[in-house]
Formats: sequence, structure tokens, C-alpha cells
Amino acid sequence: MFMISPARLSRALRFVNRLGAVWIAVILLYLVSGLISPGMFQINETLNILQIAAFLGIVAIGQTLALLVGGIDLSVAGVVTMSNIVVTSLMLGQSETLVPSLLISILLAAAVGFINGSLITLARVTPLVATLGTNSILFGASLVYTGGAPHGSISPAFAVCGQGHIFGLPVSTVCWLAIGLVMAWITRQTTFGRKLYAVGANPAAARLMGIPVNRILISAYVLSSVMACLGGLLLTSYIGLPSLGIGDQFLLTSVAAVVVGGTALSGGWGSIVGTIGGAIFITELNSFTNIVRVSTGSRFVLQGAVIALSVLMYHLVGSKRTSS
Amino acid sequence: MRTKKNAYGVTRRQAIRLGAGTLGFAAFFRVFPVHGADAISNAKTTAAGETVSGGKHKKKGPFRVGFSNGFSGNTWRTEMLYSLKKEASQHKDLPDLIIVDGQGDISKQVNDIENLVSQNVDAILCIANSSSAVAPALRDATKQGIVTIPFNLPVDGEAWTAFIGTDPEKKGFTLGKWLREALRDSGKIVALGGLPGNSYTASAWAGAQKAFQGSNIQVLAFRDAYWQEDRAKVVMADLIAAYPQIDGVWCDGSQDAAGAMKALLAAKRPLVPVTGDDYNGLLKLYQEQNGNYPNFKIGLLSEPTWEGVVALRTALKLLNGEDVPKRQIIEPRLITSENYKDYVRPGLPDGVFVDTELSDDELKTLFKS
Repeated sequence: MFMISPARLSRALRFVNRLGAVWIAVILLYLVSGLISPGMFQINETLNILQIAAFLGIVAIGQTLALLVGGIDLSVAGVVTMSNIVVTSLMLGQSETLVPSLLISILLAAAVGFINGSLITLARVTPLVATLGTNSILFGASLVYTGGAPHGSISPAFAVCGQGHIFGLPVSTVCWLAIGLVMAWITRQTTFGRKLYAVGANPAAARLMGIPVNRILISAYVLSSVMACLGGLLLTSYIGLPSLGIGDQFLLTSVAAVVVGGTALSGGWGSIVGTIGGAIFITELNSFTNIVRVSTGSRFVLQGAVIALSVLMYHLVGSKRTSS
Repeated sequence: MRTKKNAYGVTRRQAIRLGAGTLGFAAFFRVFPVHGADAISNAKTTAAGETVSGGKHKKKGPFRVGFSNGFSGNTWRTEMLYSLKKEASQHKDLPDLIIVDGQGDISKQVNDIENLVSQNVDAILCIANSSSAVAPALRDATKQGIVTIPFNLPVDGEAWTAFIGTDPEKKGFTLGKWLREALRDSGKIVALGGLPGNSYTASAWAGAQKAFQGSNIQVLAFRDAYWQEDRAKVVMADLIAAYPQIDGVWCDGSQDAAGAMKALLAAKRPLVPVTGDDYNGLLKLYQEQNGNYPNFKIGLLSEPTWEGVVALRTALKLLNGEDVPKRQIIEPRLITSENYKDYVRPGLPDGVFVDTELSDDELKTLFKS
């Protein structure tokens, strides 16, 4: 009979710890929810969760950068809505307009990030207030731009990103993981990444070390907005239509995914890989509460309780961790 | 909460003119087109409650009317506002329509109403963010002799002058009954509603459940889908994975219905009977897909985007000394596979709500399409 030796178990735990405690939560939730609702174990549902998690996942990657530098980006909701409105109204169902409309959306998002970063660094506005303000402006601007009556649609070629499959995997998941790997590499292996952590951990010390703090902060917010835009574009591809309320769901879930993934709200500590787990966890939890037979009120209580519990567990398991 | 909409037919106008009291109602059904200028005059409306005497409210024009909109931002509200402004511009005795937006905030809306009172308006129209919170503000305005007309969503009590809207519970019941019949009394269904905790969905779903009583309809799940296609598609994708058999979908709004059908398509499952409202996206989807899925059927009840027009006309009637019913309950017509062609607008965006008096050209301008 196969026995797990204590040494092997401890090695396995160390491995999981290095990845991030959130992955234990992801697996535990998967097992528990599957035992309660066998539907969760179906391969289709697993792929479905991975497909849906991609939208939140990419937005949360951007949010991770904002949290890493000690800030927060609450404008991601507005950026998702703006990207959805802009790309559908420019694409108008045509293939010829695909590339320019995607580029314009991304450039607009980068501009929003630049404004956020400038407000925070140059005008010294608190990140929470600055980005919440930008969020409100973006929603208002989307309303003015559309007159409350959005029109347009995506081109069929673009639908592949959000709805298609490649080698049995949803294309959106593949895009997400590719973006996640690139961002993980940038944050862990480049000097720019190291500077992000340094600025988040202690901006004054970072400045003394000669790190251009303002430039790093602005870059983090630009990247956060661009990620929110990419997440918004994938979600647009999934549904194909403009919708003025489409970004609202990301305002706080993006922060929840990052925090569940082990990134500290205080900055300077966390990882992209953890956030990927966090996004899977939040989506898994939503799917589970969609499937399980509970009332609407109980769903919200259950979601809140499980998130709180997982963060608690993270602290217990993750406290022994030496590196994130 | 987004407002719902529907369509009816009346001889409400005649009934009112005759001073028909408590229950004047008559109906004539127009054939088509259901949209365009005839949408209002062909709608069926039931008058309920006592008659509100116009004599008490009669004033000399010109009038100032305020409209407190709970929020704006969805296409239903956009069409409603456009229709209301258009109607206002056609009344010579109404040089001023003041529109204020509560931005989804309950206390801001109360403040908005108080501001309208202090601007000495003669009438206040209102779509309430909360049925209880705005009631005292409207009561105070009414006490000061202002004509107050909540419409679309209910306001608690009766301390307002008159109400125009639909009956969500009755609509939910009718949709439930249609679904029950479409499934021949037996089958497994899922239900999708609007924003969590909104009173419209709660009433409509209560009505639907009554309609299912005594049948073999089994409700697998009821979930909030926020009246957004993307949210509904995500929720439905989960439900599809959990339940191998889903024979029908009950929705109180067609964005939910369209999202649910798109999830079935993505999962390569056949489309099934579904309920909803007059959202063009579902009508277009039905037109496109009904040939591929013989079991795909629709049962829809609209919530008219012209409710604001009726509210404004009612206010002006009272100010001109005419009697009106306390409640005008609009009775929407059922849109089904048989008559959907009268309603679908293939050349217009999905977001259009088709029970409107606006012409295609006006809608094209509005939606910049």
C-alpha cells in the first residue's frame, strides 16, 4: 500500500507553501464543493470555471501591481466598462476595425493609468480617493459617450478570444495564463519588478536607494489599467455586446482575489502566481454558490465567510513562509 | 433596479373622460405595429382605486414639472427619458421640465425631491430607488399641493396623487403560466432574476411560483443575474454543468434570458422555452435561432418605456382640472413565437426595448446606430 511518509508530506507542504497558500484553498474548495455538488467535478465545469476566471484573473493581475506598490486601483471597474463600450462602438462587428479598436482601447486605458499615477504621485491624492474618483469619471464618460444607449458589437473573429477553445482549453484561459506568466516574470526576475516591491515596502528607503519612485508608481498604475482593459476586452469577447454595468463586478472582487492570493494590502509583499490562485478561488466559490441549493441571502453569507476563512488560513499556513 | 416595461391597450382615455370611477377599463387590441406612435393609445390599461378629482389640482398654466429619476444608465431608462422629454416639448403649457438624477442613491433621491419642492414645481414625477424611502418626501410634497406621480416602480402607501405602472406579481404569474403551458405542466427549470434583493424580481418570482403550484414543474435553482447578459451567461454556464436536464428558463428580464440562451449555445445544448421582456437582443436571437431549435419558444411581457409619457400626461390632466384614476395599471401583451415579428427590430441594437412609441429613425438617432 502506498504510504505518505512524514518527510514526503512535509516536502509537499513546502512546495505548496512556495507556490502560495491560496492553492491549498483552491484545491480544498474544489474537493469540498465537488463532494457537495458533484457537478463541480465535471470536466466541463472545471473548464468553465477556468474560462470565467480569466476575466477576473487578468484584472486582478493589474490590481496586484497597484497593491504591491502600496496603493489600490478602484478604477479597474470603470476601465473594464470603458473598454467594453469603446471596443464595441469602434469595432461595429467588422473584422477590418478589429486591430485599431483594440489598440485605441488599450491606449485609452494606459492614459487612465497615467492620470491615476500622476494624481497619486504629483498631486499627492490618496490612491483610494484618486482611483475611486477616476472610476466615477469613467462611468460618467461612458454614459455621456453612449448617451445611455450603447450600440455596436464585436467582430466574429474577436469572439474566439472569449468563447473559443484551443487544444481543449478555453482561449481566454490560455491568454490569462500567458499574461500571468509574463507579469510573474517581470515582477520576479527584472529590476523593474524588484523596484515595484521596494517602492511598496518602503518608498522613502527606495528613494534613498536612487529608485525613481514616482516613475515606478505611475508605471504600476498604467500596467494596472492596461490589465483591466485586457480583462474587459476578453469579457467583451465572451458576451459580444456593450453593457454599461459590465465592469461593476470587478470593483471589489479584484481586490478580494489579490488579497486571497496572499498579496498584502500594505504593499511590498505578494505575487502574481498567488493572484492567479485567488482569481480561481473567487470564481470557484461563485460557481459553487451558483450550483449549490441555497437561498440568495445564504449565498452572500457563504461567500463572505469562505473568503474570510481562506484569508485566515493563509495567515496561519503562510506565516512560516520565507518568501512569497 | 432597472425598470420593467410593458404594453397595454385602453380606452383608458375615454373612461377617464367619462369620469368613470373606480374601475373604468376597456380595451382594444391593436394589431401592429406595436411600436410607433400607436404603442400608447393601443395599450390596455386598468384603472384601479378611487378617482382623483382634477378640480382640487386645477391651476393656471404655464406649468413647471419636475422628474426625479432614481438613476440612469441602462437603455430602458434612456428610452424612457427620451420619450418623456419629447412629450414635454409638445405641451405649450409646459415650458419647464426639470430632470434630476438620484444616481442610484436613496438619500440623494429624497434630497432631489425636496429640492424640486423648493423650486415651486406644480408636479413631481418619480421613479423611486426605494419604495419606502421616498414615500415621506412625496407625502410632504403632496401636502403642499404638488401633484405627485410615482411611476414604473411602486411607492409605499397612498400619500401620492396617482401611480402609473405594471403589476410585477401579475406579470410574473403570467410568465410562469406561459412557461408551465409551454412545458406541458412538467419539467425542470431554472430561474434568473435582477439585482439581489430588488422588489420587482421578488414580486414577479412570487407570482411565478403561484403559477407553478399544482404542476410537475421542478425549480432547480433561482439565481440573481443582474439583468445583464454577461452575468446571466456566467450563472447559466454553472447551472448547465450542475444540471444535465434543464427544460425551461424563467426570467423577469430578457437580458437574463439572452445570456442564458447564449450559455446553452456555448455548451452545445438545445435552446428551451424561456420568458422575459421586450429586450430586442432576445427577439433577435429568437429570430436567428428558432429554426435550429424547434423546442425554443419565447413568452415575454414588456414594461413600456413610455410610462413616463403617461405620467406626464396624467399630471397635466390634473393641473388642467381633469379627473384621473388613482392607479393606472398597464397590462402588457404577451409576446410569443406567434407574434414576435411585430416586435423584433432586426436593424436596431440589442439594447433597444421595443415597446416604445419611438420610431426606428428616432431609435437609430438615440442609439447612434
